Amino acid sequence: MKTITIKRYATVLLWGLFIFLSSSCEDFLEVDTPNYLLSGETIFTDTKTVEAAMVGIYAQLRNNVLLTGNPQGLSVLLGTYTDELDYYSPYPLPEEPFHKNTLLATNPTVAEVWNGCYNQIYAANAILEGVADSIYFTPDEIASFKGEALFIRALIHFYLVNIYGDIPYITTTNYHINKNVEREAKEIIYAKIISDLEEARQLLPATDLSGKKVRPYQAVATALLARVQLYAENWEQASQLATLVIDETPWESDPTNVFLKESPSILWQFQPEFEGQNTFEAQNFIFEAAPPPARALTTTLMDAFEPGDLRKDLWTGAVTDGSQTFYYPYKYQHRAGEPFNAEYSVVLRLAELYLVRAEANANLGNLSAAASDINKIRERAGLSPTTATAQETLLNAVLKERRVELFTEHGHRFFDLKRTANLDGTLISSKPNWNTTDRLFPIPEKELLLNPALNPQNPGY
Amino acid sequence: MKNNYRHSLALALCFALLLSYNSPIFSQNLPQKTISGTITDADGPLSGVNVLVKNTARGSISDLEGRYALTATEKDTLVFTYLGYKTQERVIANNSFLNIVMQLNETSLDQVVINAGYYKISDKEKTGSIARITATEIENQPISNPLAAMQGRLAGVNIIQNTGVPGGGFTVRIRGRNSIRADGSEPLYIVDGVPYPSQSLGSSFVSTVLGAPQSPLNGINPDNIASIEVLKDADATAIYGSRGANGVVLITTKQGTSGKTTLSLNTSTGVGQLTRRMDLLNTQEYLAMRREAFANDGITEYPFNEYDINGTWDQSRYTDWQEELLGHTAYFNDYGLSLTGGNENTRYLLRASHQKQTTVFPGNFNYKKYGALATVTHNAADDRLFVSFTANYVADENDLPTTAFITPALNLAPNAPALYDENGEVNWEDGTFFNPIAQLKAKYLSNSSTLLGSSTISYQLFKGFNLKTNLGYNEIHLEESRTSPNTIYNPAYGLDSSYSSISVNTSSRKSWIVEPQIEYNTQMGDLEIAALVGTTFQNENSNGLLQYAGNFTSNALIYNLASAAEREVLASTDDVYRYNAVYGRLNFNWNKKYILNLTGRRDGSSRFGADTRFANFGAVGAAWLFGEEKFIKENVTFLSFGKIRGSYGTSGNDQIGNYGYLDTYIGSGLSYQGIPTLQPTQLYNPNFGWETNRKLELALELGLFKNSFDISGAYYRNRSSSQLVGIPLPGTTGFPTLTGNLDATVQNTGWEFEFDAKLLNNDNLNWTAKAQLTIPRNELISFPNLESSTYSNRFVIGQPLDIALLYHYSGVDPQTGLYTFQDFDGDGNITSPNDAKQATKVGVDYYGGITNSVSYKNFSLDFLLQYVKQTGYNYLYTSALAGTMANQPTAVLDHWEQPGDGGFTQMYSAGYSDAAYTAYGNLLNSDAVVSDASYLRLRNISLSYNLPIQATLGAKCRLYVLAQNLFTITDFLGMDPETQSLDQLPPLRVINAGLEINI
Repeated sequence: MKTITIKRYATVLLWGLFIFLSSSCEDFLEVDTPNYLLSGETIFTDTKTVEAAMVGIYAQLRNNVLLTGNPQGLSVLLGTYTDELDYYSPYPLPEEPFHKNTLLATNPTVAEVWNGCYNQIYAANAILEGVADSIYFTPDEIASFKGEALFIRALIHFYLVNIYGDIPYITTTNYHINKNVEREAKEIIYAKIISDLEEARQLLPATDLSGKKVRPYQAVATALLARVQLYAENWEQASQLATLVIDETPWESDPTNVFLKESPSILWQFQPEFEGQNTFEAQNFIFEAAPPPARALTTTLMDAFEPGDLRKDLWTGAVTDGSQTFYYPYKYQHRAGEPFNAEYSVVLRLAELYLVRAEANANLGNLSAAASDINKIRERAGLSPTTATAQETLLNAVLKERRVELFTEHGHRFFDLKRTANLDGTLISSKPNWNTTDRLFPIPEKELLLNPALNPQNPGY
Repeated sequence: MKNNYRHSLALALCFALLLSYNSPIFSQNLPQKTISGTITDADGPLSGVNVLVKNTARGSISDLEGRYALTATEKDTLVFTYLGYKTQERVIANNSFLNIVMQLNETSLDQVVINAGYYKISDKEKTGSIARITATEIENQPISNPLAAMQGRLAGVNIIQNTGVPGGGFTVRIRGRNSIRADGSEPLYIVDGVPYPSQSLGSSFVSTVLGAPQSPLNGINPDNIASIEVLKDADATAIYGSRGANGVVLITTKQGTSGKTTLSLNTSTGVGQLTRRMDLLNTQEYLAMRREAFANDGITEYPFNEYDINGTWDQSRYTDWQEELLGHTAYFNDYGLSLTGGNENTRYLLRASHQKQTTVFPGNFNYKKYGALATVTHNAADDRLFVSFTANYVADENDLPTTAFITPALNLAPNAPALYDENGEVNWEDGTFFNPIAQLKAKYLSNSSTLLGSSTISYQLFKGFNLKTNLGYNEIHLEESRTSPNTIYNPAYGLDSSYSSISVNTSSRKSWIVEPQIEYNTQMGDLEIAALVGTTFQNENSNGLLQYAGNFTSNALIYNLASAAEREVLASTDDVYRYNAVYGRLNFNWNKKYILNLTGRRDGSSRFGADTRFANFGAVGAAWLFGEEKFIKENVTFLSFGKIRGSYGTSGNDQIGNYGYLDTYIGSGLSYQGIPTLQPTQLYNPNFGWETNRKLELALELGLFKNSFDISGAYYRNRSSSQLVGIPLPGTTGFPTLTGNLDATVQNTGWEFEFDAKLLNNDNLNWTAKAQLTIPRNELISFPNLESSTYSNRFVIGQPLDIALLYHYSGVDPQTGLYTFQDFDGDGNITSPNDAKQATKVGVDYYGGITNSVSYKNFSLDFLLQYVKQTGYNYLYTSALAGTMANQPTAVLDHWEQPGDGGFTQMYSAGYSDAAYTAYGNLLNSDAVVSDASYLRLRNISLSYNLPIQATLGAKCRLYVLAQNLFTITDFLGMDPETQSLDQLPPLRVINAGLEINI
């Protein structure tokens, strides 16, 4: 009798426990999205959060890869890769194999640039998809978000195609598609870049709304498109687009002010994170004692300045150790520790547009127009007008002027030599290891392994 | 959310009510009386003997004089157990004194009671695979992390120390790597019944010197551990369900002993040094290499920044940089104090300890650890209520440089300038010398504290029927910082303190667990039945705040974040992880010969999406003690014990980050236009679920010649499927990985052998030896569509996971002087993946350890030889091109000089030759970087002497000398075959001497 009672008691208890449990489990395991994460759906219901996601892309571009003033940006990598910067570090820096032109497909920096770029493209595509057909925003808001995202997407692909050659053009966040993408021919990529930029021009606000030129607006997209058309050798369009920008942008005639953040001829720049931090460029280029701790301007670049060129005095700095003088880029002169930011990192500025138009016009045979644009730049540098008059000499004059005007600004030198087929001719003498195949970086080896559709590897790797 | 707490609260209340409910039907009121006595063995009083009232949790432990006392009823039976002695049972009857003489036992096996997690079982009757070490083995080692104590002592458990820097981590693999994910094979740690999170709170962004986040197991003081059990097979792990797939490590802390209050003091001090160094070139050899390299590259005028060779640096200097940067002596100090006592109902233990060790780096760095442990156990006089409470607190402080100096120690040119100038300042040699010592100005500081509280309350409702609740709480706080003052940079940059910065990680984790259980034991004739059913509610909250601050007005203010002009929050996280389960066990034991054990668990984890949240796990284990059969006993007389056991079942793995199923954005810590920015965090997959692991085990255990020799052998096969992985994705998707289940199966099979011998056992001399051997094999047995997956160039079906697909190195070309490789696809070029086809195993073939314990009169000597047969990455994997400005091992002297030569190393190059650099780059991706990394290491040796003063002074005193990693025999081409790394400090050789007094 007693055991039966015990058993019944135990049975009831067990069942009670199970019933209790089955009712509580599901609730117990339901955790809320934590307060430090926002779900993708929530982001795209509020202008503020989309805005935060949008500026997230600029913060990444400012701090990481490609356009950053840090050593992993193109200013340093392509500067050392070509003949702008010499490498002095007694300690191995990531740019060393770039300087020695001994890049391998396994180079971590090459992979960092590739992955960093596609990560930002993902972020841009996520915004495009998030705001599309949204009921939460006004048509104007949608237009401006879309315009910025399209501009970013085109900008990054433009650099990628010029560094890596044929690449995939990514227009979705869908990883099922993106993991198997193939490389597309350069011409197709250019067509897509142009199409994205055309659309961005229509969507972006007509004027700078940020008040500091730190967000793209119509003229910024136009300026980039002018450059893209120049690279694509569509001279007519390049010239017309450059004119559009030149006509609406005031000219800064004092070379000492060109890189100050208020300079009217700056089109687009990155705002530093903190007040008083100033630019990464200043931090990484300037040195105060010889020998240079990391990098310095090459003597060939210093020799390229004509006598009396104000840019040599104003935009480069010198340090002497008694016997030898070393130069560093001094476009950005303000470093951290100041109360205010005097300079931001400039991405696009008006001088380039004059040179774009000059080159386009020279190619179109509008020689005097070309000469006049070149002289606009030379005049500011305190130089006499160009002596070039023929198409050939004018084109050379543009190239030379680009070299001394745009040095250490995101790899212009490399891209200019490459598109004018001057890479080998110029670099073979100054870079002992230079090979014709160095015109393209390798596709990161890991990417080829993960997505064999990206094969073949670029020649030479 | 609140509702859930209410549920669990209700549950706890429910149990409290049940506990207080005392129905007269079930009580058996017999008068309690006090029993006491003295326990001795042939040599005299025996302390530490367990005295237990049979079928209860009540008991006592004999004191230093061998005395014990407890209360029980006349009908109770006392069970006396002590490791290595025969268990004795005495019915109390009319006695109030019971003096016991313990007999040394040849069959120690059945006395050993093993902690199997939710239940305890005797070693003899276990059906599962459980390995164990005890306090004796742990105390003989001068270590600060419990994982170090387990190295080389347990079959099937492979533990690798990742760094010799104090506070660093370990890699633990129980029966191999189950997961394709490199980080998904961590075991589950349980400390006194409470899950202990194995994920570190540390940030590898801050703790650069450790090469990884700091080990959370630092929060457990090895001195406080009574035993560590490792559960390996399905039978043992299935009750841990979803978290048991990689094995379970159960850590039990020490408990108090009743009887006379005993104070114990332990102090030791020691020294530590690098175990092994590399043979590097001297200045003459080095400069000869450099000159030849430039000549080979066709460079006659040495470039400006090649300071070692172009005349800038003195070419007659020589410094042994390993000696200079890693050759210092680390000092170890250890103090422990414990107090234990109590009566038969209540026992307590209080322990306090302090450890300090310095480093082998230049400069004054150290690691300090403070620990306190308090435990109380109480059983009510009526024998039904049992309560235990343990609180364990550990605080540690780590003060280290931010780098381990290995790279400069190996790479600095031997003629590099002096570290300090004549004024004692860091010597930058006019900006030409990247002086590693400048890094000493940067500091890693960490402070952590761990509080573990656990409690067990059990109540016997009626005979054989217990209600039990485990309650646990743990709280871990960590604050760590890494500074980068401007003084670490070359002064040529002219950077002032506005470029000084600090990164600070402040994190904490709080976790509670409630586990109500019901136990029922009954006997029906020859059949014993034990049943257990329980449920788990666990909640874990983790917070992290990673901050960066820069631009200080003075470096003196660097630890004051408020004085920084720039402040950024790099990460701020607040994670919740919840876990819920129902589990049970049913054990049938017929006549102590045939044993069947069934375990099961239903689990839910908040880490998975709603549809895949729950899963079931279970196992069946069986054992046949054939040595008990009459026909064996009569016919095979040399066999004193024989058992065959086997098990099959499933367990799972949920080791994947929280919230992986959500599409989320996170604050990136950066701001733009003054707006804090948001960034997408991951590609998301709402459908991933449990990874399951099917385990099979068969084992034979034998005791020979009155158990003088114990032999056991086990075969296991674990198959892990539905692999939960971060599937690698190409960069074009925007992210490197995607969390998901992969339809692949990984199989771990292996043999484990253990051999115990009591070689000598007489009055003065006692010698026992143990050996164990594990032969693991890992294989990827299926992977549908491997060829078209992103893993196609990483894994091969039929091969272990630990392979690398590499170029096949085929020697130095006698003509060109360059490394050559097999051209698998015959296209004339060496390119990946078509030529990276050599599947090269990088892993363990077999491993084990040999332990010997010899005691002669008052002396005892213990040593452990650990052996590992394996291949690993040698120094070439991270080597610089021979001929560049980096020192090299003397092995490179065997090199190509002119056509017709061969050699170990290709022609020297200073890095200006594209062909030489490319060949070198290919070498790093070839099988030449993988070579034999087997080693035999005297992991631990200890010698101790008991001063013969007990009789006169009433105290016990022990003197001892301990050594860790005393020597290593290996052919490994690199610094240390265990860490196999050229940027992590190898484990140190430590010699410690100490004194222990018990009063």
